[in-house]
Amino acid sequence: MTMRNSTFILQSSRYLLAWGFIALVTAFLFTLREALDTALVALLYLIPLGLITAFWGLAPGITSAFLTFLTFNYFFIKPYYNFTVHRPTDVVILVIFLVVAIVISQLVGRMQSSLAAATAREREATQLYELSTALAGLHDRRSIAEILARQVQDVSQGEAVELNITGMDAFVFRLPESDQPTRPPEWVVPIQVARGVLGEIRLWRAAPVLTSREKRLLQTFASQGALALERARLVQAESRARVLEESDRLKSAILSSVSHELRTPLSTIKAAASSLRSNDVNWDSAARPELIAAIDDEADHLNMLVGNLLDMSRIESGVLKPKREWNILSEIIGSVLARMKHLALEHRIEVDLPESLPLVPVDYVQMEQVFTNLLSNSLKYAPGKSVIYVKAFVEGELIHVMVRNQGPQVPQEHLERIFDKFFRITAADQVTGTGLGLSICKGIIEAHGGRLWAENVSDGLAFHFTLPLIWEGISPPSLPTDMETE
Amino acid sequence: MSNAPHILVIDDEPQIQRAVRTILTEKGFRVTTASRGEEGLALAATNEPDIVILDLGLPDMDGVEVCTRLRQWTQCPVIILSVRDSERDKVAALDKGADDYLTKPFGIEELLARVRVALRHSASRQGTQSKVIHAGSLVIDLAWHIVKRGDEEIKLTATEYKLLAYLAANHGRVLTHQNILTNVWDPADANHTEYLRVYMRQLRKKLEIDPERPQVILTEPGIGYRFISDE
Repeated sequence: MTMRNSTFILQSSRYLLAWGFIALVTAFLFTLREALDTALVALLYLIPLGLITAFWGLAPGITSAFLTFLTFNYFFIKPYYNFTVHRPTDVVILVIFLVVAIVISQLVGRMQSSLAAATAREREATQLYELSTALAGLHDRRSIAEILARQVQDVSQGEAVELNITGMDAFVFRLPESDQPTRPPEWVVPIQVARGVLGEIRLWRAAPVLTSREKRLLQTFASQGALALERARLVQAESRARVLEESDRLKSAILSSVSHELRTPLSTIKAAASSLRSNDVNWDSAARPELIAAIDDEADHLNMLVGNLLDMSRIESGVLKPKREWNILSEIIGSVLARMKHLALEHRIEVDLPESLPLVPVDYVQMEQVFTNLLSNSLKYAPGKSVIYVKAFVEGELIHVMVRNQGPQVPQEHLERIFDKFFRITAADQVTGTGLGLSICKGIIEAHGGRLWAENVSDGLAFHFTLPLIWEGISPPSLPTDMETE
Repeated sequence: MSNAPHILVIDDEPQIQRAVRTILTEKGFRVTTASRGEEGLALAATNEPDIVILDLGLPDMDGVEVCTRLRQWTQCPVIILSVRDSERDKVAALDKGADDYLTKPFGIEELLARVRVALRHSASRQGTQSKVIHAGSLVIDLAWHIVKRGDEEIKLTATEYKLLAYLAANHGRVLTHQNILTNVWDPADANHTEYLRVYMRQLRKKLEIDPERPQVILTEPGIGYRFISDE
């Protein structure tokens, strides 16, 4: 009720102001009546009429035009102080005045309202623009919902906004987060795409009632939101598709590499076993132990290949979680060297680990794997009788390990790529292996929060990796030493 | 042959059963096979085998569970078989009372070595514990607390000796980190593998000819340690 009263007061005050202004102008012109020509007075009267329509609108303008017509006739056309007109020219002036006054009022009024409409449109456009810029690039449904809710709140100045997003992983976003009104919302608009309804916007705003323009704007907001949500869904679907495609590509690469790699040891085993089984090989023949050794070695090789494939698939699927413990690097390297003894007959492996090296927070088994792969890579490519150096030192909060061989250098542009799956510089049939060893190392080192890289050195190739020494905020423990002897 | 050691093999893969049975029979053992956990437990109860070889990946029940149930009534040695990368399961089974493990695929020499160690330990449980352990030029006299290389005595700290004595008394067997920490240190220290690592390094420096390539105390990656004696 108060609302209606205040609008009424506002409306009537505009008329009163307009008429008051006419009265003022009339009084002013009246003092100059003798000096002015009737036609000139008519022209002068047009100025306030234009101003009135411009400031207070069309209706006060038109009423003022009629009022002016009367005052003009009454005060300025002879005989004064009545509404009769004697001279024919005065009649013409009066009629022209009325027509011109009304036309001006109309024109100014129309201009005025179209200006207001243009301003409103511009504001809407700005708000829409803001919304779409805010939504652009968002691929997370929750952030989209949040932005949308905030913009709806900004534009509507409502008491509360609630976004109800349905479908998979449904959720509700409320603004403000607490103090939701208990009554049903005043206005609900669905967030809809061609595929179906994605949710709805609920708005609580009791007063002032939403205008049709506001409703239209909020509808547009809803469809903008719908588009953003749909886009987010598509982006997710696309990245899922890309992951699948990638894993598909990996699988076919594995298949083609593996079928070659697996068949080589299998052929050896089959050939050796079948010739042992047939009576071609005498029990005391020198070939016998050799064939048996071949079966044994190739079986080990097959086992290693399968192990590498499993490791790789674990790294790929992100389930390779290091089981960290405080370990001694020299112990890890020692057990690797002990196990690789029979492989490293032609090379010399020199280990340089300072006594003062701290404990390192690593997964023992995985680090063994790293050293095994780096060393067997070096053994494979470096010429016989050459030296392989293993060195480690502390570098700030990192431990830096280097495995260096005197093998062939790697072209600069391939230094990064040698850690890619199945990447080989030499043809696959010249060197045995899966092409996975180095990428497994990289996967393990990265799972430990470290970094692995290769570098050409003066006489060969060096692998470097660094690992953090700080584990869950804890530095390597220093341990009590007991010096008392038994 | 009736007093030949009796081995029960619980594994669901027929090829493994066949291979293990062929070789163990050839070596003079009596062999019974089971392909399921329940069947294995029933056979163990009726046949009272001298050794159980148990695969951890059985179709009907968890191998660790089989191990736990066996331990409720028998102390017969249990050797577990499992694939690579299942250190957690191996450690669980070992801590539940299994004596040793073998990672598939394994060489038959390894299997026979484990069987020999297991038989010796079940014998020593019945009283004939050897007090002097030889490992290469190393001699450990558990009765007199003396460690020698050749004629030269090696000085060890109290903790180092305790650790070495525990490993040597269980020579040939794998001992998990937790097992060693509980027995040499204190059950409260069972998670401090770093103690073990550091003392092991000190011990190896004194015992091993080349501490960087240990021959006497071997590391079982992710599991624990094993003392290799001459026996």
